[in-house]
Amino acid sequence: MANREYDTFILSDPALLQEDREMELIVRELTPPDIRYKYRSAYVSAMISKSESKYPDQLWIRLGRGQLQEKPWSIKILKELNKLP
Amino acid sequence: MPYKFCKDNREFIKALEMNNDLVTIQQEVDWDLEMGAIVRRVCEKKSASPYFKKIKDYPGFEALGAPLATYKRLAIAMGMKPDASVPEISNEYVKRTTGDPIKSILVDKKKAPCKENIWTGKDADLFKLPGPMVHDGDGGRYLATWHFVVSKDLETQAVNWGMYRQMVFDEKTMVGPVLPFSDMGKMFYGKYVPKNKPMPFATVIGCDPLAGVAACAPSPIPEDEFTGMLMGVPVELVKCETCDLEVPAHAEIIIEGEVIPNLLIEEAPFGEYTGYRTSPREPRTVYRIKAITYRNNPIITISNMGVPTDEGQLLRSFSLGLEMRKLLESQGIPITGVYMLPESTHHMVVVGVRPAYSNIATQIANLVFGSKLSPWFHMVIVVDEETDIYNKDDVIHALATKCHPIRGIRKYEHSVGTPLYPFADPDDRKWSRGAQVLFDCTFPLDWPKADLPIKVSFNKVYPKEIQEKVLRNWKNYGFKD
Repeated sequence: MANREYDTFILSDPALLQEDREMELIVRELTPPDIRYKYRSAYVSAMISKSESKYPDQLWIRLGRGQLQEKPWSIKILKELNKLP
Repeated sequence: MPYKFCKDNREFIKALEMNNDLVTIQQEVDWDLEMGAIVRRVCEKKSASPYFKKIKDYPGFEALGAPLATYKRLAIAMGMKPDASVPEISNEYVKRTTGDPIKSILVDKKKAPCKENIWTGKDADLFKLPGPMVHDGDGGRYLATWHFVVSKDLETQAVNWGMYRQMVFDEKTMVGPVLPFSDMGKMFYGKYVPKNKPMPFATVIGCDPLAGVAACAPSPIPEDEFTGMLMGVPVELVKCETCDLEVPAHAEIIIEGEVIPNLLIEEAPFGEYTGYRTSPREPRTVYRIKAITYRNNPIITISNMGVPTDEGQLLRSFSLGLEMRKLLESQGIPITGVYMLPESTHHMVVVGVRPAYSNIATQIANLVFGSKLSPWFHMVIVVDEETDIYNKDDVIHALATKCHPIRGIRKYEHSVGTPLYPFADPDDRKWSRGAQVLFDCTFPLDWPKADLPIKVSFNKVYPKEIQEKVLRNWKNYGFKD
């Protein structure tokens, strides 16, 4: 069972996303311990998979205009990246 | 001379209540979509403004939804009778905003309610404010939907108040579109960015209603002075904590910080004023915050853009139309009025004119399409004085009967557009390219009088004495309306 839930917006064709390789993306936290922080965004370095169970956390996919895809993927966040001044 | 006005958001809430245009919701509501859904339905049904007293996870905060989504609320905000007609409100607005601007005054911080609480450093955290998730599928929580952003020109020191949506990214960061042809876009991208200088900003949430009206108005007068003209007295401003900007002293919440040059972060999607989610998620302007100041028990304001009618559509239509009226009158065009239909999401303007010479409709279109107002609309309908510009049925009738399908329509290519136009192709949206069109609904002047079609209506084709007799006896005939 997934520990935490995140979502991300995919601006290109989701089928082209590379799985199981360290990549940088923006995720939004959907199940933070303090619910006031729901939808907080962060740049992260992570591994993702189209399999719902491969990595510890769930990753929901949205397209460029917010369309939620039916099935979640999974994600392992390696680290949060501090890219802002 | 002071007009009747509401000094702050709280006086406005009381005025709405007194005029039976407020629903106070004591039941707890969720900031995560529920508040947004209520406000959306209010806009679509033209219901009373919802006043949310309890917001889940945010004790001590309240919210006012759809504060100015109807002409009735605009009339109340202007201190007029709530059933004032659109022409009455328009004429009052033009009267107040024509003449000398009224300079604002600076008040001491101790007299400014917006300084009752001050968060700086780590305390200045955007998630401590109840930013709503407005629509399902939005790119984030939009704290700023009915608000304005204060900025100052790097060279001229001119101050701008404008509505630029802001999405919360993280504790210290907001992000949103700033189009290059907007007032703030010209300041930031034209002057700060080339020098790689951050631009101080202050976001004002929960302002008095007339300041919101002014921030929507595309007037050349500085918006704080424009607000003073609408009120008839100077606006009270107070210095920010972290920069030299000034903000309305009676506002509910102020967020201070800097707009960061040469850095973009993904923003959107968002349900937009056109009634669609059109512009995609893409890199946009970044605001980093330094301080938050707020009144005790602050009341945030929420607009919910979507299908008509929300306050963005209504007020932008109202003020764009009236700025066009001022422009056309200043050029001596014999217009009878200008009305922009809010239902057109401020894309369509109707200009009434006495057709004194040939091609007057083209002259009107050239003037308004050539002005700085033009990126925000793309359809001009010119009608003669026979058509009531405020009556949609009458306008549609004129469009369908008087506009020749070929010579009555003039197309304007290569115009400035916005990324929000649903009809534009993706590349045009990306580069803010648009197109515009004129519908000339006047009959050509060279037609012989005998060939002019005669409008068949109660007011036109019966002698005055018959009209009066019928009106006098209407109820006697048995009609109840």
